[in-house]
Amino acid sequence: MTSVRAQSLEREGSVGDRPVMTLIDVEKHFPIKDGVLQKVVGHVKAVDGVSLEIRRGETLGLVGESGCGKTTLGRCISGITAPTGGGIYFRLSDVDRAALEDILATPGKERTPEQRKRMERIESRHLITALTGDAWRAYRRNCQVVFQDAFSSLNPRQLVKDIVGRPLRIHKEASGAELTERVVSLLESVGMGRQHLFRYPHQFSGGQRQRISIARALALDPEFIVLDEPTSALDVSVQAQILNLLHELQRDRGLTYLFISHDLGVVKLMSDRIAVMYLGEVVEQGTATELFERPRHPYTEALLAANPDLDADVDKEIEGLEGTVPDPANPPEGCRFHTRCPVATPICGWEVDDAVTWLSVETNLLDAMTAVERRSNFDATLAFADDGSAEAVGKAMTAGSVPPAMAPALESVSVDGSKVLLRFLPVPPVELEEVEPGHVTSCVLHTSRRREL
Amino acid sequence: MADVAQPRTVIPPATGALTVRLRRLGEVTVQTLRNPVTVIGLVIIVLMFAMALLAPVLTTPNEPNPYQMPRDWTALNEPPGTPGHPLGTTAHGGDVLYGVIWGSRTSLWLSLIVVAVTVTIGTVVGSLAGFIGGKVDEILMRVVDVFLAIPELIFALAIAAVLGPSFSNIILALAIVYWVKYARIIRGQIIHVKQNEYVDSARVIGDTKFRIYLKDVLPNSITPVMVQATMDMGAIVLVGATLSFIGLSEAGLAEWGVLVSEGQVGISTGRWWASTFPGLMIFLWALAFNLVGDGLRDVLDPRTESR
Ligand SMILES: Nc1ncnc2c1ncn2[C@@H]1O[C@H](COP(=O)(O)OP(=O)(O)OP(=O)(O)O)[C@@H](O)[C@H]1O
Ligand code: SF4
Ligand SMILES: [Mg+2]
Repeated sequence: MTSVRAQSLEREGSVGDRPVMTLIDVEKHFPIKDGVLQKVVGHVKAVDGVSLEIRRGETLGLVGESGCGKTTLGRCISGITAPTGGGIYFRLSDVDRAALEDILATPGKERTPEQRKRMERIESRHLITALTGDAWRAYRRNCQVVFQDAFSSLNPRQLVKDIVGRPLRIHKEASGAELTERVVSLLESVGMGRQHLFRYPHQFSGGQRQRISIARALALDPEFIVLDEPTSALDVSVQAQILNLLHELQRDRGLTYLFISHDLGVVKLMSDRIAVMYLGEVVEQGTATELFERPRHPYTEALLAANPDLDADVDKEIEGLEGTVPDPANPPEGCRFHTRCPVATPICGWEVDDAVTWLSVETNLLDAMTAVERRSNFDATLAFADDGSAEAVGKAMTAGSVPPAMAPALESVSVDGSKVLLRFLPVPPVELEEVEPGHVTSCVLHTSRRREL
Repeated sequence: MADVAQPRTVIPPATGALTVRLRRLGEVTVQTLRNPVTVIGLVIIVLMFAMALLAPVLTTPNEPNPYQMPRDWTALNEPPGTPGHPLGTTAHGGDVLYGVIWGSRTSLWLSLIVVAVTVTIGTVVGSLAGFIGGKVDEILMRVVDVFLAIPELIFALAIAAVLGPSFSNIILALAIVYWVKYARIIRGQIIHVKQNEYVDSARVIGDTKFRIYLKDVLPNSITPVMVQATMDMGAIVLVGATLSFIGLSEAGLAEWGVLVSEGQVGISTGRWWASTFPGLMIFLWALAFNLVGDGLRDVLDPRTESR
């Protein structure tokens, strides 16, 4: 067990000098079950291949619309749920990271025994789902969470003293009178005090409960805290107080934060760097200043445009963003944002679904459609009730009214009796690329793929 | 604190927790007693319990087995008011008052044993299913479904009939039937409570599964079980009496159901007392626990609790 002093010694140094959390291709897919036998019929891809690094002393903001996977990612990082793919590493040094990425890039069968050994060693020391004994305890002490809902995050049957003192008791840091004193000083550090020790959570206001949650998170003197929308359930004035408190605590204790929110104003205020999530993926990441002043992704731009004074919620209807968020169980091809992107290009991932959606919105020809036989998302046969409808659809798809971004992606349209064969040019998924030092985006308008345009 | 001004009461730390918990218990009690209907139920229960406890004082216990009705062959079918037999006697010369008083003891034993056993089994099974989940849950819930497919009374009746007529077999039969209900209640509660973020918080600070179950999950899941158990203290006596009534108990037992059953032949010939008084006791017992159970539900309901 590391003593408090050893920990703060360990923490000397400058902000950002080493990673606290490293995520490599993290996935969390929830199975969708159906029928009496509860057969798995698909997966909700809540988090789908996220790589991030959170360096010590910094605040990484995580923004995105509701349902894009922010909470799920936070829960994976804090060890509440295990990711279904990829790895989350605690205190992975840059050297080890490079080595690990090297090994991961080698196909499993081709890895040398030394590589395997090295990987095993790295995983047993840093991969949060593989940690045991002291390493696991160190991770548990150093990674804490504050949830959005302070009502459900405090056990209604425990007194404040037991709630805040529990981490100390579990890790055998204190007991008896000493425990009480430690709890009092924790309460004081969040602006509460001794008079609150023997009360139940329901005796407090929302803001106070959130302070109690923060005190509990601080009890083990952690290095890193996941803050999952810690203020979005609070009144605006209380919100400011809690944000100030979090700021002060970070300064005084050298804390590292993952700050999740869908309020861009709050994220701007709190974050050094910001990652923007869309449908389970990070689409852009950069310093707060870069991202707000020179966004390199139309989705980020849309979020910013919807918040001219930056105090509206992302969740409210986003202006300039048409359509609904696609189903995370069946995300779009190419760039996942292409179904709503106002500046989409021919290489953004046009697929059969887009043609069908367009037909249903712009024409009434879909009523006669009886089946879609898919060979892939890019290649399908639409079957119609009669030859006439098929012909009309074929005409519509080749006429000039097809959206100009989609038209060049249509490789072929052919009518065969009552069937229409549609084929789109297949495109690979977009990938994040560094467009400026520390600023990554996946939009093809900004990455090396713009040469294809 | 700017959000809400808090009164600054200074509580001595060493006794603080205990004081607060006792005060909380006091508050719940006061709140319970504010409902007159609950108070009526409580008074009846207290009287019944007093009667059960004081049975050896209130009557001369029958030798050698006080739970067996005394027989006075010189006083058959005496009406209420007869000297020495204020509530009359049965066709076998049993003192009805003796049966009423010792019957409360029998009922207390019956309901306490059955409730204790079924709550324990139900909580263990329901907890395993709800907290562990997965295959364990599936298997246990299949078993529960089988039990639930058969109506309680008929199931208990069948078991008691197979085991043979005796009072302890009635207890056994009821215990076999009634745990299922608790298992279902507690499982549902746990699945619901498990989703609270305080459970996740406890995991994040590194607590063990078992302690999370004991400190976070069980205490927040148990109130509906307490309410149901209170109700069942009444219902079980009613069902037990029903089984006794149809002859699955022992003849001559000082038990209300047996007395009603043995006294019923007299009703057509005007000898109403032998079954009416014990019948009234069954009714009062079941009613009282029902009233208190209802009152408890209102007070302990987590939605109304945090007011
Ligand atoms: N336990 C679960 N089982 C199945 N699906 C889930 C589960 N948890 C989350 N999801 C799904 O995963 C997706 C991401 O959810 P998540 O809560 O992470 O989003 P979020 O970005 O935090 O949204 P919000 O802003 O509303 O909090 C959603 O589609 C959600 O329905
Ligand atoms: S890649 Fe860029 S332009 Fe294309 S759809 Fe995505 S965000 Fe829009
Ligand atoms: Mg969320």
